[in-house]
Amino acid sequence: MSPVPSAPCATHPSPLATLAAAVLVVMFATLLALTLAASPAFAGPMATSSDDPVDLRFSDFFRQPAGPRGLEIADGLRAVDGRTVRIVGYMVSREDAVAGRFQLTPRPVRMSEHADGDADDLPPATVTVLLDPAQQDRIVAHQAGLVALTGRLQVGRLEGADGRVSWFRLQLDPSATATTVSLAPAPAHSH
Amino acid sequence: MKPVLPLLAPVLAMTLGALGIAHAAPTVTRLTPPSELFSSGNAEPVIGRFLPGQRFDLQATVKPDAGQRITEARFFIDGKPVSAPVALRDCATGCVKGVPTEAAIATVRAVSLDKAGRHEFTVVATQGNGEKVTARGNFDVVPFDVATGGKVRNIILMVGDGMGASQRTAARIVKGGYAQGKAIAPLAMDTFPATALVKTASLNSVVTDSSPGMTAYVSGNKNNNNEEGVFPDDTTDPFDNPRIEYLSEYLHRTQGKALGIVTTADVFDATPAGNAVHTSNRGAGTGIVDQFFDDRGNTGLTVLMGGGRKWFLPAGTPGSERADGNDYAFSSSDPHTAEIVRRWGAASGAKDKGRDLIRDFQGAGFQYAATKTEMDAAAGADRLLGLFAFSNMNVALDKIDGRRGSKKGITGSVVDDYGFPDQPMLDEMTTRALGVLRRQRNGFVLMVEGASIDKQAHNMDTERWMLDTIEFDRAIQVAQEFAREQGDTLVIVTADHECSGAALIGGSMLTDAALRSAAESRGVANLRDKVVGVYEKAGFPRYRLAADGYPEATDIDYRLLVGYGANADRHEDWRTNNTPLRDSQQPLVKQEPLKWYPANPLERDDAMGDFLVTGQVPGESAVHTATDIPLSAFGPGALAFTGVIDNTDVFFKLAQAAVKGTTAPADARGGSRPRKR
Repeated sequence: MSPVPSAPCATHPSPLATLAAAVLVVMFATLLALTLAASPAFAGPMATSSDDPVDLRFSDFFRQPAGPRGLEIADGLRAVDGRTVRIVGYMVSREDAVAGRFQLTPRPVRMSEHADGDADDLPPATVTVLLDPAQQDRIVAHQAGLVALTGRLQVGRLEGADGRVSWFRLQLDPSATATTVSLAPAPAHSH
Repeated sequence: MKPVLPLLAPVLAMTLGALGIAHAAPTVTRLTPPSELFSSGNAEPVIGRFLPGQRFDLQATVKPDAGQRITEARFFIDGKPVSAPVALRDCATGCVKGVPTEAAIATVRAVSLDKAGRHEFTVVATQGNGEKVTARGNFDVVPFDVATGGKVRNIILMVGDGMGASQRTAARIVKGGYAQGKAIAPLAMDTFPATALVKTASLNSVVTDSSPGMTAYVSGNKNNNNEEGVFPDDTTDPFDNPRIEYLSEYLHRTQGKALGIVTTADVFDATPAGNAVHTSNRGAGTGIVDQFFDDRGNTGLTVLMGGGRKWFLPAGTPGSERADGNDYAFSSSDPHTAEIVRRWGAASGAKDKGRDLIRDFQGAGFQYAATKTEMDAAAGADRLLGLFAFSNMNVALDKIDGRRGSKKGITGSVVDDYGFPDQPMLDEMTTRALGVLRRQRNGFVLMVEGASIDKQAHNMDTERWMLDTIEFDRAIQVAQEFAREQGDTLVIVTADHECSGAALIGGSMLTDAALRSAAESRGVANLRDKVVGVYEKAGFPRYRLAADGYPEATDIDYRLLVGYGANADRHEDWRTNNTPLRDSQQPLVKQEPLKWYPANPLERDDAMGDFLVTGQVPGESAVHTATDIPLSAFGPGALAFTGVIDNTDVFFKLAQAAVKGTTAPADARGGSRPRKR
């Protein structure tokens, strides 16, 4: 992969500077989110008003442990279907990132699609995170560590264009992915 | 193909012109089975090899002249017409890019030859104006040798996915330990008397993936990467390719042997499917699991255990991933696929995402187990289906952590987070599978896969593949003890390929506490120069095994260190990752917004040690390598597995032992020699 500047600055930052910048961005964004959205980081399972995001945990998705057949989706999850929720998890790392979407899991997962195909280590509670329809051509960079996402939850079977089925989706607000846009094309994979 | 000599061409064109015939001719662009005779004109090396009576398909793709269509195609073997119907289809729809719509695909299904030796086959295709084209290829029918011992009744194939010499050595050091240069306790696989070095290339690459890596052992032939039990073709249908009969099918058809498949992966994954399913798309999950069941009458499938429950649940059940898009259904009106059903005795399939495949298995006499507890309770089952996770099963390290009550996850252990806290270990699955299969009157073929040795090597998650190799060796011990007791069972331990270019580079010069400090001090100077002990500084890392057979701890003082020769960029801190992939190691919850690609590579991994190992391969994962892998054999016939051999040779050696009897000298340390029958 050829190095492509990810921001319109003239020089490559040092690793330390990059990390510091990333932390600053995160801190600023956190402040912004807290200020503008009054994100209820430590709120209970239900929001105080219908506009507030509901805090949702992966462990609340279905009856644990899973039974002998399919998942038994928890009533609490069904109750917030269609609502705005806030969920904390890990971005799945893929070899071939898909434009307009990525996956969020309660565990860090790295996909090796070229070697393993669909035989993956994704947990049953995997959320397909959908970008705003206006951003369908965008690829979100993989971010290690926990991320907190807010969006509208959809529960139910949906067969994607790639033939894969998702049961839980999170439709992100455009602002979630609107701030640091790179003008560079997505990296090509040669194998 | 070479064109007609330039000087002759004008003369020929004038002659043909005078006769009113176009001078061009149809061309054969693909001839199957693949051969060098067809592709380069050289008679050797011979690519396709079959057992006497082993079935396979013949196929040719023929391109007619413009405005013409192919009206007939006939196949000949050694000059004699093949007495089976030729299915002819065009490429108006359903062919891959680059193949013109007027091209025709001619296929004869399920042919076989008893006569050993080199055979030449030809296709003769005719287009509408009478012009003909002929192309030829060759293959071998490998004779059985005269046996000096009896037939083996059972064959057990232990496949450590991605397990090269390094993975084996690492497991030995961690499990048994060394003292003054001597291994204290060998691995079970170390005690096998015969060893061969195996070449693993696939039909289209020196670097194979797991599909052809497996099928070479059980079909005797090279497949393309991503393809299972088939030769490549020019159609987009992943289930219509020219087939090759598997060992399971051959031995079930000729001897009534049963088939068992046990894996820690999703059961639809390449290695398990590469014993029973014929497809050019290893990702076609719904169709693959359907074919496991639908064609059990051909394969003798009796035990199927692993992960992958999501493919077995009706589409409306939460968690199901069944979809018609990756299912199979053979047209009964198009002979191209109808002949698969007719000649191979295969099921015609259906696009039935609403199918309840667990119920179908139960209806066919399979006992279904969803947990280890249920598997243990199925001791008396005649047939067994075990689906212990929705996708791949969790790896040994996480399963053992779960059993030990180690809470490293968000809500508990990793297995709790996945919702499957009661998953069996591979040796426990192997014990149960053998308990079912040993009652088979005519013997069995059992394939046991240690799947995540490969998957965790892709992740360069050292401790996870080490423990999966130990788990795999414990399963080998179960198979070995069965073979020792029975005396008529041949056990092969092998790998489909090596993964990650793993190398045991030495030992840590630090205690674990000092290693943690080094990670906090960060950088190459602290995390490489002060840590990596080479040569005598490596010493003998000493892990202590707990009563469950796995290391009490993997983060020991002076630990074993692994480097990767086929690595992607990675940060290394040498310590065990708390979760199946390197965690952020920071409790900070990051907030939106998210960034667009491309990320700076240094931001992709957040190991705090700041020791970046630059990779030679692109992407995020380590890759398979073309390096030869070791194979070990135990039991009657074991000593036939020596030297540097091709992966396809293994098939013929296994068949020899099962069909005609062993040829190798008696095995002094293995199971007793079966009586000549």
